[in-house]
Amino acid sequence: MFGLPFETALLVFGFPVFWILYMVVFLYVSRRWDRDSATEDDAS
Amino acid sequence: MSGTVIFFLVLYYVVVLGIGYWAMRRGGGEDLEGYLLGGRQVGPIATALTLQSTSMSGYMFLGAGGLGFAQGYWALWYAAGDIGGGLLNLSVIGRRMRKMSQMMGALTSIEYLEKRYPSPAIRLVAGVLTIFLLGFYVLAQLIAGGKGMALVTGISYPLALAIAVGIILIYTFMGGYLAVAYTDFFQSLVMLVGVMWILIAALSELGGLTAANTALSELDPTLLSVWGRGLGFEGQWGVVAGAILIFSVGYMGWPHVVTRHMAMSRPATARRAGFWATIWSLFFVPAPYLVGILAILILPGLDDPEMAIFQVAGQLLPAAVTGLVMAAIMAAIMSTADSLLLQTGSIASRDIYERFINPRASERQMVMVSRGLVVAVAVIGYVVALVEPPTVFSIVIFATSVLGSAFLPAYVCAVWWRKANTPGALASMIVGATVAFVWEYAGLVNTTELHPMLTGVVSSTITMIVVSLATQTISPVPAYILDAMGVSSKVGPIPERFLAATEFDLANEAAAVGKAIEEDSQDG
Repeated sequence: MFGLPFETALLVFGFPVFWILYMVVFLYVSRRWDRDSATEDDAS
Repeated sequence: MSGTVIFFLVLYYVVVLGIGYWAMRRGGGEDLEGYLLGGRQVGPIATALTLQSTSMSGYMFLGAGGLGFAQGYWALWYAAGDIGGGLLNLSVIGRRMRKMSQMMGALTSIEYLEKRYPSPAIRLVAGVLTIFLLGFYVLAQLIAGGKGMALVTGISYPLALAIAVGIILIYTFMGGYLAVAYTDFFQSLVMLVGVMWILIAALSELGGLTAANTALSELDPTLLSVWGRGLGFEGQWGVVAGAILIFSVGYMGWPHVVTRHMAMSRPATARRAGFWATIWSLFFVPAPYLVGILAILILPGLDDPEMAIFQVAGQLLPAAVTGLVMAAIMAAIMSTADSLLLQTGSIASRDIYERFINPRASERQMVMVSRGLVVAVAVIGYVVALVEPPTVFSIVIFATSVLGSAFLPAYVCAVWWRKANTPGALASMIVGATVAFVWEYAGLVNTTELHPMLTGVVSSTITMIVVSLATQTISPVPAYILDAMGVSSKVGPIPERFLAATEFDLANEAAAVGKAIEEDSQDG
């Protein structure tokens, strides 16, 4: 890919893909965080 | 010296100062919480971009480009972890640290450590260590600013360095955290546009990425490998692991970066900030390394690899765009330098001077101490940068390895591990800093093929676990801290009983007095 050896292509493109997947999982796991608030007043 | 370049630089400084002035007028500086944490009112996009632009320093334009030029695609091991560093930081400790810091009434990241691990020794060791290491980190920013400005404007290095130091000082004195956060927001956008512009220009010059890689392969096939030029790092997984760790998990141990969590408007801000931090990093982080690699073809006779990005910009871009790129580089330097200096001054005044030297210090005295130390750090940095400037890469790797090794377990365990206690945190900080320092200073990287960040973090983590478990009976984690940890782990509002931070201070004091009485009775 782009004239790169396989291992290097994995380094260049694999890590960004990993972090995007991590972000998707994080957004899913934290989907209820919006209920969180600093104070009880904020929550009401 | 191009008038167009100077015009864009001056325009950039005027805009940044204007934003800083607007942020000051907007408020948030009426009291100490307002000055140090912007009144805890920073939203998700501003949090993401101040976190990222503070983490990404002048290193990205000098060290990263230089590493790409010297080692080819091997340099991207550093980018591999860095892309997710902000996201990891926000997702692991962001929300919990925001809640804990408010419940404990902590205003600096070092004060936060003392309140979670109640002992003056924690604050003293962490404060001194942080001031020393952030001072080193500031030195790298001053050198980067001086070198860059000298090259682009054509003035001498000593004069360029003096101008860079002067601008950074004026800018830091302008205001508190809110001014820093909002100017960081603007600067992160300038950094992104600037570096992408150079990358696109370099790729256009070489006929695209595939053509550039083919040309690199013809020049030296090892430049395309994951093991560096001449396969110099072949099989050195210990060095690779450290390169990935330093700018991924390492950020969680940087006191000037984790402060960003404490200033978020709500604990849940960490979620959206994680999204924006990732989007920004995906575009920004790999670009300087790639420009450095492409510079091998564009500038084959380059003497100083750390000048690769400046030289590519000067050679390929018109003067107006070079001015914008220079502004982007100064943005990277200043957005880190101001945060470092603000943190160094805050720690010196609140965590050392007020805590140990003059507990009755007025806010005016504390501001004077803070500004005095900022000037001292800048002057010392100027002299060192003038007399014998080390490479930006070496300083940043040294300072960040030691910082990450010393503080990573302390910050992560503070919100995740209920058995993490004061002796464990203290021993972890000392062992982590010592191991990383010795590894780097004694040159053990070459003989052991292990990165100082890897050895430092592993040793500080093991120390935290072993010492905390071994001292549970003599130094248990106080019940009120366990209570606060329980609240921070759950999604929901902070109970009323925690909102008056004075209660936490009283609990801290009561625990200390109780322990003293207990020791007295045992002695008696």
